[in-house]
Amino acid sequence: MNRFDLLYKVQNILKDNLVICNIGLPSQELYKISDQPNFFYMLGSMGLSSSIGLGLSLSQNKHVISIDGDGSVLMNMNTLATIGNRAPSNYTLLIIDNGSYGSTGDQRTFTDEKTSLKDVALGAGCKNVVECSGEETVNQLNKAIDDKDNSYVIISKINSGNVKIDPIPLNPITIRDRFRKFIGIVKYL
Amino acid sequence: MKISKKIIDNLKKGGVDFYLSVPCKLLANMINILENDKNVYYSAVPREEEGMGICAGAYLGNKFPCIMMQNTGIGNSVNAIVSLLQLYQMPVVFLISYRGTPGEPVGAQGGMAKITEDILQTLRIPMLHCSSEKELDKIPTFSKHAKVVESPVAILCDFNLMKDDT
Repeated sequence: MNRFDLLYKVQNILKDNLVICNIGLPSQELYKISDQPNFFYMLGSMGLSSSIGLGLSLSQNKHVISIDGDGSVLMNMNTLATIGNRAPSNYTLLIIDNGSYGSTGDQRTFTDEKTSLKDVALGAGCKNVVECSGEETVNQLNKAIDDKDNSYVIISKINSGNVKIDPIPLNPITIRDRFRKFIGIVKYL
Repeated sequence: MKISKKIIDNLKKGGVDFYLSVPCKLLANMINILENDKNVYYSAVPREEEGMGICAGAYLGNKFPCIMMQNTGIGNSVNAIVSLLQLYQMPVVFLISYRGTPGEPVGAQGGMAKITEDILQTLRIPMLHCSSEKELDKIPTFSKHAKVVESPVAILCDFNLMKDDT
């Protein structure tokens, strides 16, 4: 299972939640599988999907899923400490860990060598940290969303590999405004 | 404490209701005030760039965020400012302790001080430079301006303005 297969498999769960999706191929693949107004596609700022989702979950009550990657979490690893200490129960971090910088040509990341993001997350203070296969991810995501008392970090271990895909045609302000309209903030659209 | 209290009161008058900080000794009193304020959200964060991401999410969730930091934090955050806050036109207030300005005892702070305003200028971020207590009165209007123009804005507080505010 690669990232596209995984996103395809979890699309129905994502549809019912606020989703912050990582820059590059993850966003492009999700857009191709199922574009939704409650999906915020990152067009820049690699590393900050987890942080954007955290700020969003602290600011309103709907459940938030941040879709991140191993390379991106390695770039902003302090986020795990902030999540471990501050994440509310309406927050789930889904790290798609394919051991690879997929969007830049599949160079290996350190999770393909010695680094365990599960161990890092636990050490950073995250309590509910699950490492699972791509197949198991649907169940783990459902469990995280159903648990109204705890936040979760789910590390989904999959294979590297990408599908051929086009850039997202949406303008950033369109992404912003339809997302905020879904939450009920923007009234003018 | 008087200056710190005035800054926080004026940010709140400007509508700011979500605060993060990466600490600085010049921000210590403000952090103390916010930690004891039940009406607004406050948290420390380990790094400014991450704070920009959290502020972006807070804006999406209908908060008006502020990140408090040293001017060195601007250097840590340039891509997040340009490729996230400005790309999606998100209002965020940067409350900056302007280390390396006259009165600063640590010589090494001078380097970032020399280029801080140039960086903000290059990024086209509106600036309010506060060197005296009177200038703090402009904070409410200046903060609201961030929402009107849908842009991050920066409030720079000089070392000498903050240093005796015990």
